[in-house]
Amino acid sequence: MTTIQRSDGRPRPSARMQKLASVPALLIALLFASICVQAKDTQTSADDDPVLQAMRAELERSKSALKLEGMAAPYYIDYHVTDMDTHAAEAAFGALRTNVRLRFRFLRVVVRVGDYKQDSFFGQGQGGLDFMPLDNDLVALRHEIWLATDSAYKAATEALTAKQARLKQFTVDQPVDDFARAEPVVSIGPAAKLDFDSHPWLKMLQDSSALYKTDAQIESFDSALNFAAVTRYFVSSEGAVVRSGQNVYDLRIAGTTQASDGMRLDRSHGYAVTDIKELPSEEKLLADATKLLATLEQLRDAPIADEEYRGPVLFSADAASTVFSDLVGENVLGLKPDLGQPARTKGAFATSYKSRVLPDFLSVVDDPTLASMNGRSLMGKYDVDDEGVKAVSVSVIENGKLVNYLMGREPIRDFPASNGHGRARLPQNNPGPSLGNMIVRSSETSSPEALKKKLIEICQQRELPYGYYVETLGPQRVPRLIYKVWAKDGHEELVRGAIFGDLDTRTLRNDLIAVGNDVNVENHPLNIPHSVINPSILFDELEVKRANANKDKLPDYPAPAVASK
Amino acid sequence: MKKLFGNSALLCVLAIFLKPALNGAPAGEAAKNDVLIAAMQQELHRAQGDLGKLDPAPYFISYSVYDQDSAMVVGSQGSLINSIHARRRSADVIVRVGTAALDNTHEENRGSALTSGSLPLGDDSDAIAHVLWQLTYGEYRKASQAYLNVKTTTQVHAQEEDTSPDFSQETPQSHADYEDLSPQPDRHILEEIARRYSAYFRKYSYIYSSNVVLAAQTMRSRFVSTEGSHVVSTGAWVRLAIEAETRADDGMELMRVETFQAENPSHLPAEAEITARMEKMASDLKALRAAPVAEPFDGPALLSGRAAAVFFHEVLGHRLEGHRQRGEQEGQTFTKKVNQQVLPEFLSVTDDPTARTLNGVDLGGWYEYDEEGMPAVRVEVIKDGILKSFLMSRMPIKDFDKSNGHGRAQAGLMVTGRQGNLIVTSSHTTKDSELRQKLIDEIKKQGKPYGLYFEDIQGGFTLTQRAMPQSFQILPVLVWRVYPDGRPDELVRGVDIVGTPLAAMNRIVLTGEKVEVFNGMCGAESGSVPVSAAAPAMLFSEIEVQKRAHSLNRPPILPPPGFDATETKAGGRP
Repeated sequence: MTTIQRSDGRPRPSARMQKLASVPALLIALLFASICVQAKDTQTSADDDPVLQAMRAELERSKSALKLEGMAAPYYIDYHVTDMDTHAAEAAFGALRTNVRLRFRFLRVVVRVGDYKQDSFFGQGQGGLDFMPLDNDLVALRHEIWLATDSAYKAATEALTAKQARLKQFTVDQPVDDFARAEPVVSIGPAAKLDFDSHPWLKMLQDSSALYKTDAQIESFDSALNFAAVTRYFVSSEGAVVRSGQNVYDLRIAGTTQASDGMRLDRSHGYAVTDIKELPSEEKLLADATKLLATLEQLRDAPIADEEYRGPVLFSADAASTVFSDLVGENVLGLKPDLGQPARTKGAFATSYKSRVLPDFLSVVDDPTLASMNGRSLMGKYDVDDEGVKAVSVSVIENGKLVNYLMGREPIRDFPASNGHGRARLPQNNPGPSLGNMIVRSSETSSPEALKKKLIEICQQRELPYGYYVETLGPQRVPRLIYKVWAKDGHEELVRGAIFGDLDTRTLRNDLIAVGNDVNVENHPLNIPHSVINPSILFDELEVKRANANKDKLPDYPAPAVASK
Repeated sequence: MKKLFGNSALLCVLAIFLKPALNGAPAGEAAKNDVLIAAMQQELHRAQGDLGKLDPAPYFISYSVYDQDSAMVVGSQGSLINSIHARRRSADVIVRVGTAALDNTHEENRGSALTSGSLPLGDDSDAIAHVLWQLTYGEYRKASQAYLNVKTTTQVHAQEEDTSPDFSQETPQSHADYEDLSPQPDRHILEEIARRYSAYFRKYSYIYSSNVVLAAQTMRSRFVSTEGSHVVSTGAWVRLAIEAETRADDGMELMRVETFQAENPSHLPAEAEITARMEKMASDLKALRAAPVAEPFDGPALLSGRAAAVFFHEVLGHRLEGHRQRGEQEGQTFTKKVNQQVLPEFLSVTDDPTARTLNGVDLGGWYEYDEEGMPAVRVEVIKDGILKSFLMSRMPIKDFDKSNGHGRAQAGLMVTGRQGNLIVTSSHTTKDSELRQKLIDEIKKQGKPYGLYFEDIQGGFTLTQRAMPQSFQILPVLVWRVYPDGRPDELVRGVDIVGTPLAAMNRIVLTGEKVEVFNGMCGAESGSVPVSAAAPAMLFSEIEVQKRAHSLNRPPILPPPGFDATETKAGGRP
């Protein structure tokens, strides 16, 4: 069922997006296709950057004259332009399937009516997204900003009334301001450029995914790259003027197979960096792909995890990264609850302020100002956040106790100001509190070998035949590689089909007993680029169960024979 | 709802800008070297052999592979907004389990027969075979599961009204069109055209929003089936769509769209004609802003040929699609009207996908083979007002057990009966120059204060499901009040044509002589497909219009940048 394109009462902010959404689906699919790359100028100051010039010119005009008769003028306006130049490619079974270069610019305009205490940032008043011209043509750039500003102001005016009407339905005990004041920052960094020769990379994708030929039971084997140069422009009526660029290079390989009982087995390996030089060489990538294939084969032959286990579990720093990211990272964000709700924040730490959320030997800092650690670039590095606030290092958990939240410019109870963590999700959404570089540190550490020894000691004390060692986790904290560590001789045995019964914020607080002196740096390129840095961890007790997963049928007929080896 | 719209994407470029044609191998040579189709046939054969041993076994498997080279360039205010170029190769794997009489596609389960995926872009037959294998065993599971459900459902439910089989018996087809695809126009040239045309509206302060969209596509499709069909065909189109929008003081959004479509860029109009059309768009919009809002009205009306063509596409064409005669949820307006009068006897309607041009205009609905590998056939659907046939895919309906080459879909979707080139002809005509007078005569005869002339439309939609009223809505953009007393015609805005199909079509009194063509993209269950509709201008004794819902937002508060008198900074208009 389809709807006709027509003029109606829909809000204007995304008019151009809607228009494009109305072109045939075929063409919309092409939005994931390539585009010509234009040489980008390197500007060094705000004055000779046409994008910033256009943004400032329209901002000035709107500040001085944008007002509907009988209605309040805006008290705040900001413009955010995201310029993305991306290259995406994918190879499956040794052959290229996708290879697209795409460049686009998005504009987001926020107009706020009311005041810092109570304003129009609600529903449609939160601004929309428009395509922005790609050419550095002042008339065209300003025209788009002009249209978007006009509709954002009208939407804001209506949104304020709607919000006030809504608020009348609730009793608010401790009102919190809607918008935090912030010192305007002027920071003109270089624009990001995507400048690389794609040929060797495409060859690497094909060569690595061609390794499927070594194992007839592989069902899929893909390699993909997503390289992007992202330049962000921000101006606000408070005086902020920001330009910043970041490159993201993401390369990954993934394979699937099935055990003879039908259990689906997945493995993937990714490399996400901000400097292309840090990506693996072809030899390294092929070696890693070969290793990944070998683990898939080992998994196929591995025994299934026992149905019951309650005992010590050791997580490698890699596996622990997923644990900290999910159970701490998501909960230290100062997200304002929905209108009328009395909680301090959303998330599991909403009532944990000044309470213990981790063992007292652990502390957590988020420091977006760090560019690298142990020679690895950090993706969560930035100078100014997407709300024009200077990035600062924030200590969120001290000696196990939650002492702060990561804040954008939307205050929550007792946290009236931003600490420079308001960041927009790519391609461009509303900015909100987000991780930068989250670093988990411990006051007491042991070597990974000592942790393994400790795991075995606990098993022996409790007369458990084995403990578990987790090497890596997949989505939803499902173990991808998990080993039984036998207490009698310390040997490791790969198992499949294990899941955790109670790996949550409570066990993280109460049952984490020791920490390694190793460090894993994990860059997360998707949505909001960020990094998580942490050591390996040992739990005194966790429940590990047999997954209740469907066992799919094996393919109904064998894979085609490979003609060329 | 189904729709036809002319305001979608696509491209113009002059032939002299084209890259030189690629020197292609002779057709026979190309066929021999077609690694892709060889891999398709080999995998199809393997699937047939191996899956054929299972229970339930497939009785039909087909592979369709679409090799598309597409470009889309969007310009606005003289700048590029998007410029996208993509090569894609996708495969649709169809598996039918059971028997032609009852299979997994029955009733609501049609989607269970199709699985799609991306194929390698190059000639690596190992990789192509592996992806086809993945898609095929996945699709077989979906199909066999659906088939079990179908068997149970047909036992549980009461017998359906139409007991036709689920798949028609047809002769396998063999066709190998390895003609060189027309080359894609140079992207930089497209970009320059988008910039140049879109800059044209910069000088109008009242045109708030405008776009120039150029799009081009060339496609080679390959189809093989276990029945032995082997069809390779090619197609190409280019479209240029120009949109401009303003807003009346009461908030009504007013839009003008011009589209130009052709098989290749050299068939598009010259720049002078296009800029003349843009100038008319600008003056139309200016007049529309000042025009009064029309009132609901029911009375005589004249539809231009283009307006009448869209009217027939929406109101009649969609209801002649074969599968709509069978679905238990469908309104089935015409199902039992075969050999009965459904139109005035002076009107006949054919759907002719084999027609490549009409009156010198390229027809968007031209094709040689449909997506089920069946040859396109000219179908006389209505002759002298009497319903004769439907637009058939390989889904049979009562009394129509064969495809007539109208099984169409966009890549990735299951085929249904669709329109190609719907052409309306008339034996009761008058000179086009006399139609306005005939309208005035009709107004006087009915004693109405005025009649309406619909000069142009932007599209429309129609509802065919039983749960909804069987109504249609046509969205005109240029509507004139014609007065019987000699006053000049008056432009009005803000109305849509509404009605129900059987009532509306029998109000046609007379037609003009000149057949006009509307090319557009049509969206329905099987996706977006290029179509044409062609008709002469038509005089209706009665057309009903209703007020159009519109935004209440005021026009922009500030003048556009560069039109602000108080401004001295950069960014002034040229």
